[in-house]
Amino acid sequence: MKSDARVWFVVAVLATTHLLLHVGFGIGRAAPDLLTVALLLGARELGMGRAAGLGLFFGLLEDALTVLSFGANSVAMTIVAALGAVTRDLFVGDSTLFLVSYFVIGKWTRDLVHWVMVGESLRQPFFDQVVVQGLTGGAYAAVVGLVLLEVTGLRQEAAA
Amino acid sequence: MPAYGPEPEANAGRRPGLLAVTFVILALSVSYLPATAQQRIAWGVRVTVLRPFLATQERLTAARTNARDVEELMGQVDSMTVFLSTQAAMSDENRALRELLDLSERAGPTFLPATVLRAGTAGSESMFLVPVGTAQGVYVGAPVVTRDGLVGVIREVQREISRGMDWTHPDFTASAMLQDGTMFGLVDNRRGAFRELDRLVLDGTAFNEEAAPGTWVLTSGLGGYPRGIPVGVIDSVEETQGQWRKSYWLRPMVEPGQVTHVLIATRGAGDDIAALWETAALTASDVAPTSTSMEFRDSVQVPDSVQGAGGRRR
Repeated sequence: MKSDARVWFVVAVLATTHLLLHVGFGIGRAAPDLLTVALLLGARELGMGRAAGLGLFFGLLEDALTVLSFGANSVAMTIVAALGAVTRDLFVGDSTLFLVSYFVIGKWTRDLVHWVMVGESLRQPFFDQVVVQGLTGGAYAAVVGLVLLEVTGLRQEAAA
Repeated sequence: MPAYGPEPEANAGRRPGLLAVTFVILALSVSYLPATAQQRIAWGVRVTVLRPFLATQERLTAARTNARDVEELMGQVDSMTVFLSTQAAMSDENRALRELLDLSERAGPTFLPATVLRAGTAGSESMFLVPVGTAQGVYVGAPVVTRDGLVGVIREVQREISRGMDWTHPDFTASAMLQDGTMFGLVDNRRGAFRELDRLVLDGTAFNEEAAPGTWVLTSGLGGYPRGIPVGVIDSVEETQGQWRKSYWLRPMVEPGQVTHVLIATRGAGDDIAALWETAALTASDVAPTSTSMEFRDSVQVPDSVQGAGGRRR
């Protein structure tokens, strides 16, 4: 399988698994945010424009299950995807430090933008939702992302 | 991650940047679309991409319920066997009272049973889906209840599926009254530090009227909900404003997070459905959460007045 095809296969599996865990099984926050991990992986394979389009699509999937904050996930995912694509031009390499930072900051940025967009009446306190939950979720996403890259062999392939 | 591959061609020039800006503007504009357009988009996604996942949740919930029902039924069979062998007369009365307390049987065909589906994604808290819609007679504003009382209200109805909000939603309000009809007010919620700490408040009551702790609070029949659905029980005074207004904390009848099955009123349910809950017969100690009510039902330690009612019906 070509590396590109393998990346997109992983992205599709992650997105499907995310929806299965969160929507199908109703696990909620106990399950990692695999959709953001998938988006961050996919964004590095695309130009900024297409990555933003992918982010918008993923965001709409999550927004379809919300009412009052419709659009917040779309904006958050679109911005994160565009920024993720930009990192390809700015940073070269896949060291553990870079990958951990990439996933943690990516997930945290997604939570931050979502917190801003969701509106004052619905959001939880900044410290709880963005600082504590955002960073915890970012660490969770980083662990899952790193493990996935190792398991699927995508990281070794790049290093070779 | 293959980070060293050739740079995507699409990254060259200004076009990707413009495309990205276009998508960001598109995403922002989605947030400011009219509610009906947003609902249409959400509905389109739900019935296409998300449909298999929602169906999975529905099947899983049904399977869990079946498994729990089997355990419960086995327990009931064992209990009944022991009971029958010792007190046949009491056993008959037990069965009659169980039927009396079973809301769905009492409610009849004007209430639709449904399984509650929760998405579990960011922003979908306090909302739920039920797999019944206009085809079954559900309408916007239909109250969603359990055997214990009010869960919430239907907000959006499609042909085969509807979306509702429970009382923890910031938009939830219900016109309410004390069980004896002496005091009227508006029930809304107060967000806690955690969702589990969300509470109900009976607001806008007259200062010179006193609501005793333990008094039931029911929907008043004004503002959309039929009269007589239990909402909560007076717990304590929340706030006193000057010498003219009081508000009270309520202990809710229903913990929405624990609800898996509900009944949804259709238009034929009527404007006064207080009789379904037999509120006059129950005391505050028998109130909410759901598990308490289950114990109450299973232990069959029914107040004398209900036993009397059972006797009359039989």
